[in-house]
Amino acid sequence: MLELKRALDAKGHCLLEMPSGTGKTTTLLSLIVAYMKAHPLDLTKLVYCSRTVPEIEKVMEELRKLMNYYEKEMGMEQNILGLALSSRKNLCIHPSVSKEREGKVVDGRCYSLTASFVRARHAADDAVPICEFYEGFDAHGKEFPLPPGVYNLDDLKEYGQMKRWCPYFLARHTITHANIVVYSYHYLLDPKIAEVVSKEISKTSVVVFDEAHNIDNVCIDSMSVKITKRLLDKCSNSITILETTISNMKENDSKRLEKEYKRLVEGLRDATIARETDMALVNPVLPSEILEEAVPGTIRTAEHFVAFLKRVVEYIKTRLRVQHVVQESPAGFLRDIHTKVCIDRKPLRFSAERLASLIRTLEISDLTDFSPLVTVSHFATLVSTYTKGFTIIIEPFEDRAPTVSNPILYFSCLDSSIAIKPVFNRFQTVVITSGTLSPLDMYPKILDFHPVIMTSFTMTLARPCILPMIVSKGNDQVAMSSRYETREDTAVIRNYGNLLVEVAAAVPDGIVCFFTSYLYLETIVSSWYDQGIIDQLQRHKLLFIETQDAAETSLALINYIKACDNGRGAVLLSVARGKVSEGIDFDHHLGRAVLMFGIPYVYTQSRILRARLEYLRDQFQIKENDFLTFDAMRHAAQCLGRCMRGKTDYGIMILADKRFSRADKRSKLPKWIQEHLKDTNCNLSTEECVQICKRWLRQMAQPFSREDQLGISLLTLEQLQSEEMQKKIQQRAQGI
Amino acid sequence: MADEDETKEYRWESGYEKTWEAIKEDDDGLLESNVADLVARAKRKRAALKDTGAIQLGMMRHLFVVVDASACMFLQDLKPTRFLCVLKLLEVFVHEFFDLNPISQLGILTTKMKRSEQITVLAGNQKKHIEALQQLKDLSCEGEPSLQNSLERAMNGLKNMPAYSSREILVLFGSLTTCDPGDIQKTIKSLKDNNIRVSIIGLAAEVRICQEIAKKTGGTYNVLIDDHHLKELILNQVQPPAVAGSMEASLVKMGFPGGSPIVNDGTSDSSADHAPAYCLCHIESETSSLMGPNGYNCPQCGSRYCELPVECKQCGLTLVSAPHLARSYHHLFPIKPFIERAQVRETTHCFACAKLFVEAETNVIIIVNFRLCLFYHSLPFLFLLKVYECENCNQIVCLDCDLFIRETLHTCPGCASDPVTAQMKTN
Repeated sequence: MLELKRALDAKGHCLLEMPSGTGKTTTLLSLIVAYMKAHPLDLTKLVYCSRTVPEIEKVMEELRKLMNYYEKEMGMEQNILGLALSSRKNLCIHPSVSKEREGKVVDGRCYSLTASFVRARHAADDAVPICEFYEGFDAHGKEFPLPPGVYNLDDLKEYGQMKRWCPYFLARHTITHANIVVYSYHYLLDPKIAEVVSKEISKTSVVVFDEAHNIDNVCIDSMSVKITKRLLDKCSNSITILETTISNMKENDSKRLEKEYKRLVEGLRDATIARETDMALVNPVLPSEILEEAVPGTIRTAEHFVAFLKRVVEYIKTRLRVQHVVQESPAGFLRDIHTKVCIDRKPLRFSAERLASLIRTLEISDLTDFSPLVTVSHFATLVSTYTKGFTIIIEPFEDRAPTVSNPILYFSCLDSSIAIKPVFNRFQTVVITSGTLSPLDMYPKILDFHPVIMTSFTMTLARPCILPMIVSKGNDQVAMSSRYETREDTAVIRNYGNLLVEVAAAVPDGIVCFFTSYLYLETIVSSWYDQGIIDQLQRHKLLFIETQDAAETSLALINYIKACDNGRGAVLLSVARGKVSEGIDFDHHLGRAVLMFGIPYVYTQSRILRARLEYLRDQFQIKENDFLTFDAMRHAAQCLGRCMRGKTDYGIMILADKRFSRADKRSKLPKWIQEHLKDTNCNLSTEECVQICKRWLRQMAQPFSREDQLGISLLTLEQLQSEEMQKKIQQRAQGI
Repeated sequence: MADEDETKEYRWESGYEKTWEAIKEDDDGLLESNVADLVARAKRKRAALKDTGAIQLGMMRHLFVVVDASACMFLQDLKPTRFLCVLKLLEVFVHEFFDLNPISQLGILTTKMKRSEQITVLAGNQKKHIEALQQLKDLSCEGEPSLQNSLERAMNGLKNMPAYSSREILVLFGSLTTCDPGDIQKTIKSLKDNNIRVSIIGLAAEVRICQEIAKKTGGTYNVLIDDHHLKELILNQVQPPAVAGSMEASLVKMGFPGGSPIVNDGTSDSSADHAPAYCLCHIESETSSLMGPNGYNCPQCGSRYCELPVECKQCGLTLVSAPHLARSYHHLFPIKPFIERAQVRETTHCFACAKLFVEAETNVIIIVNFRLCLFYHSLPFLFLLKVYECENCNQIVCLDCDLFIRETLHTCPGCASDPVTAQMKTN
């Protein structure tokens, strides 16, 4: 809290690592809210970005508790408005649209009911359907702001139902004046969405990225484009639709096209004005240079533009017809497109803007069909805008199936700082926090910013409730490792199996195992099956396996939880970087032990990764190996952190690989894990590990209540105010 | 013991263990001793809980002991094996149980191979149970246990017991898994409906389902640290638990058989009482022999028993002797809880055991059987920071004496030795 206050005072960015379950969210919320109350001019808004909808809901719950406390203590209504925002899919209350399952379909149908031209048409002809909730909101909602309070998604829906206003648009509208906004990363990082949603958030805001250990990947994903052959085929279809619509319109209503043409001549002046007055967040897809210019003549008329698009798509199609892997820079690509099909850089740059404008003019209400075309236009804009930090890779086939032709064009962003830069530049304080951010110094480098505060916190605990261990060898003294050379070695696989069987016999309820990849998981499980290890395992616990299929995995998870609940016990085999390792908490009995088989390095043969490593080396002076280790260790830490969700929880963490005990790996674990990782537990054999587990589990099973924590990890008000404790806190603050 | 020798292996073949660590203080912090601290505090808390005064205690108890006999009971982390260790402690337990709860009944079940077996039926005869336990030592442990099956079986046995008795199940559970045929939640629910309290002692680690069963049925769940701790945990179950609210109070018909061994002086009213007869408790066994004139006759139907207390096999009357009832009686009037105080300067000795209150400089923890505390005067141990004061006589005792007084003596030595308060009590 102290550190956070310093960062707020300095109006700088900060990077905080706090173990999960230590009240990270509450701390952030309470301090920032208090700061907002104390300095209402310096700090007007809190934007809290989280990863998933359940996480957003959790944050809202915390906020509600905080507000209730304020009300109780201060005795009056608080003038603070907090709300959560999610996609239309989660907020829609339209009777038929909300039944749709897929987010894209909901978006499309919503657009077809609420777009301005549809509504205009409705005014003329009652038969055209519109959304009554949006109408209600449009008629009345804008004048009456939401009363102060805390609204989560359900509250918004309820409020919407009551007033007959559309909750989605209500929330979007309210963002501009709400004090606290909670939503997903993408609303801020993905340029396409940020443009629409987060544009008008004021400069004096605090932005918090929670669970941000993967933030660089999110940034990169939001800027990267992947084009497959199927996508291009769909593009061709939509271009034909465009053509027919244009010719239709020409016959019926040529005025509108003319109007558009004129507007384009004037250029994107409005946007320029907006940016100059510092109204909006800079959109990286829309670089400032093009704002000052008018849309080039070659693509101003609709037919010309469509023809232009056609050429681009055809050109990409020819590029995909390659027999070997091609990698080139955006500049090379531009040169090539210029020589082959005579397309300049400039019109390419405008293609995204131009397409959006065209779709608006043509009054196409079903946007879902056009998403492939939009993707291609984004690609065109990006490739012509950025010459640095991106690369183009064309692969004619997948590495795993070299005979099947499946050409893919990757336009891959190598620099994670591009997407997040506007956020850092615009907002006065950006807080990046997670349970596992170690090593901290890597993040400022790859995100290219200068934090004023960078701290890793540990937990104060009344008992040693995590037990990290590094198991390096089996009972037969054969070293365990997932190194490429020893990967197929049956002795290593057998040792891994024995480790799991023995741990399963000693640890109650749920055990979660993480492997480095799906491929490795499959080979290991099949050879365990041959060696009879699976049979042994099933004597103790039931076995569940995560697969690449999301439905199958969630079914496995449900049954895993069931098995843990009724005492049979279960083992879940899953993959680091998979769905299980990222979003799912195994608290209390669901995860008494986590085993990490091998170090989860990324697939180093991937060309995208290689390109990125090269870029990092050239631009930021980060050695390839450093980055790979960093990436592997943060995923390992993320997996390990799954089992620990609070101070009353306890869990064993077993790192089964010889290489973990090396200093360069060990020092990259989060501080709160390192603190408990004693030197004596760094080079254990299977049997030693099991002995330690058993003893530790018995200690942990002793009754443990709230009073036991008092004074150590939980302080009463008197204790907090006591002189001794104050001194301790001071010391600790200086120690950091 | 022959079977013990069989299972014994060479030291280097047996498991890797650090026996010294059980009593060692941790180098890097107080965490290890913290855990021991927690144990002591829990002990005290349990005692305090029972002492809340006017709670009704179940004087008549019907208890099923379920012993896990699955493969994991052959592990050697308790010496010589878990199973043998548990059986041995159970013998002590059975003895103590009938000592403190003379008019209660006990039955023993085992569970292995996903099934549950009945070893002894509910009965008040401790000899029979101890014999059965001794025979169990030859049983081989195999397969997985089934919590649900054994609970169901115990429940069937307890369901029809009269409502005024306290129905309990004690599970000694070594396994970390349970292999159940159905939904165990239903079993838990019907246990709850039947007012059956399930207490579980885990031998390995905290298992969620056990925790849940114990919590929902109002029992306790504990996991041992070592065999001393296990003994303590098992013996804690000897104390009758507080009654869960809904138990009805009712009059119970009991028989008091004429107890004194008879001399044939003709004073007895009927000669049939003393005629040689088969003892009904042993009549089924092969080795039964005609009993002499000594024994207890049921006042209702005249059947003869060699031992009390017992439920008459003929007419179902509970036969007890007056001392038995008297021994159960003290449960109804527990002494008031002592007040916990920080060490007082002027008193340096424990009033009960006359031991010095030593400042806790060494954090060495010796878990001593508190029962023996009185006889360990000379041991220079203990980390006493807290002392306990009797409300009535203001005498100060140590933690171990506090527990001893509460659980064994049932009378405060301070009050008893003070003529004034003792007088008051008798008045």
